[in-house]
Amino acid sequence: MLDAIVRQYRPQLNALAHAWLDSGARAFGIYAGGEALVVWPENGDIRDARLRAPIKSGIEVIAELRVAGDNLGNIEAHLEADAGFISSLLPLERELNSIATELIDTRDQLVALYQLTQATRNSLDIQRSLEHLAMQAAMMAKAEGAFFYLRPADQEPWAVHYPEPNLSEEDIQPYLRELVESKLPYLSTGVVSSQVPGKAWQMLLLPINVRGIVLALIGVLHRADRDFMSPEIKLVQAIGEYAGAHIENLLLFKSNMELTRLQTEMELARRVQVSLLPKSPPSIPGLDIWAGSQPASQVGGDFYDFISRPGDAVSFVVGDISGKGMPAALLMSMTRTLIRTETNALSTSTPEMVLRRTNAELYNDFTELVMFSTVFMAQYDQSKPGLVYANAGHSPVIYCPRQGRARLMKADGVPIGILPMTQSRDHCLNWEPGDLFVIGTDGLTEARNSKNQSFGYQRLISLVEELSSQPAEEIARQVYQQVRDFSGGLSQQDDQTLVIIKRLPL
Amino acid sequence: MELHDRSRAGVKILALEGSFDTYTAEPIRRWLDEATRSAPAHVVVNLSQVDFMDSTALSTLVQGMKRAREKGGELYLCGLQSPVRLIFELTRLDRVFEIFVSEEDAVQAIKGEATH
Repeated sequence: MLDAIVRQYRPQLNALAHAWLDSGARAFGIYAGGEALVVWPENGDIRDARLRAPIKSGIEVIAELRVAGDNLGNIEAHLEADAGFISSLLPLERELNSIATELIDTRDQLVALYQLTQATRNSLDIQRSLEHLAMQAAMMAKAEGAFFYLRPADQEPWAVHYPEPNLSEEDIQPYLRELVESKLPYLSTGVVSSQVPGKAWQMLLLPINVRGIVLALIGVLHRADRDFMSPEIKLVQAIGEYAGAHIENLLLFKSNMELTRLQTEMELARRVQVSLLPKSPPSIPGLDIWAGSQPASQVGGDFYDFISRPGDAVSFVVGDISGKGMPAALLMSMTRTLIRTETNALSTSTPEMVLRRTNAELYNDFTELVMFSTVFMAQYDQSKPGLVYANAGHSPVIYCPRQGRARLMKADGVPIGILPMTQSRDHCLNWEPGDLFVIGTDGLTEARNSKNQSFGYQRLISLVEELSSQPAEEIARQVYQQVRDFSGGLSQQDDQTLVIIKRLPL
Repeated sequence: MELHDRSRAGVKILALEGSFDTYTAEPIRRWLDEATRSAPAHVVVNLSQVDFMDSTALSTLVQGMKRAREKGGELYLCGLQSPVRLIFELTRLDRVFEIFVSEEDAVQAIKGEATH
């Protein structure tokens, strides 16, 4: 340190030296550790100098100020004053030194913090980011360990430790409660571990605020005999603040991702559903057909299909998968495909056979996904009398004979996917010219108004009866209009599908 | 939708109140999952205060019933009001579930089932 003073205060020491040389001294210098640290003139010798005064650091003599020469008179007091002056420079130098060290440390810490942000900025994994931050916090604060404790609003709290959990959650719990309430830094001595018997630490706990809520905590552990210095506390605070910003970004990113994923899934489901619906109903001599579906914002599982066997029967299918979103859309496409395959497999297959085989094929998938599907299927063959149909739990199916009363045709079997065997049987309906079939889905009957009332079956049946003499397209238009009017602008909660088949009057 | 649960003679009873649909089914599904976790799972769902059910509600009950049966138990229903009963009739789920007028009848029946 004396070296530094000699370098630093060279001009002042020069002035002192020249004053001594001018007053007749042969040589003047500082002597330490058995040799001259510095001497004036350059070839001067102070080894045997008679006049000496101690340079002290505190009470310890670390060097001597020496003057060589003869007949210098009574100058001890003067020399001691000079030595005192140099001694007084020592604490200043020490302070300067420590400031410089601190500056270097701070610079190192800033570099480390920068590296930290670089290392974690691209990581989307909270666990890994926090492991890295805990390691850096422990290293930078020269601590024995560090940990993060997270308490997300919608999850169980969890902790990330570095190096290994010296303290269990039970050890930390009492301190956490205090900190979460006070929201202030907390310093505790004598924190003991249930993991390492006989071991105690000093613990610094800092809250990490995310939008005003203590969402996480950072803790740093020192040996029990080592105090936390102010720069260390500031550093841990900086890491905590950075971790808070990082956690907030990750949470925001995650919730955005989740939202995007859901929206994408919904959009995909909707496309699957819409792409599978026939673009237009088939043109069959003697029949007036209208089919359409108004999908709800949250995609439901309604579907309808027309399956023609060349020169043979045409089948009408309407179904509703319970459940929403992508699983419903996928099951719907599977159900629809299977019904098509089974219908075309045999020229003699009837609705009952198709539903039975479809159920047998899909029972496990439906059970796995906790869903089921109602299906109504009817077969019309111009060369045969009547209409053959089977109904697996589907409603509403309304039959209205020409100039007669409309009635609800109840299913005789449960929906597909509920029982290993179906109970739906073939039924034959005497279908005369002018008779009308309206097959809807529960999105129509369950449409609600602001008083929480449903549109209901009775309203739909009466409406169909009233409109039965109209063309299929007009019936559809009026039904949708009436349901919309009933809901009075309330958002549509489920798909609303209508298939209307009218046997044209001769 | 309100859920009231109680237990009588080893039978877990869930009494529901309000509309049971896509938007309210989740807590009921969780309750049924929990109730059918261990064997024998005997559950009665009281629907006497339910004024509306949709297809999600139906599939929630079907799932509960399948799980109860897997655990050697049963899920019985009771107290269906007419709009709700109609949905069971139209989907023919009245053939799948044992449906009772009163909770007492359902509990007695399920206990009888248990001793067989």
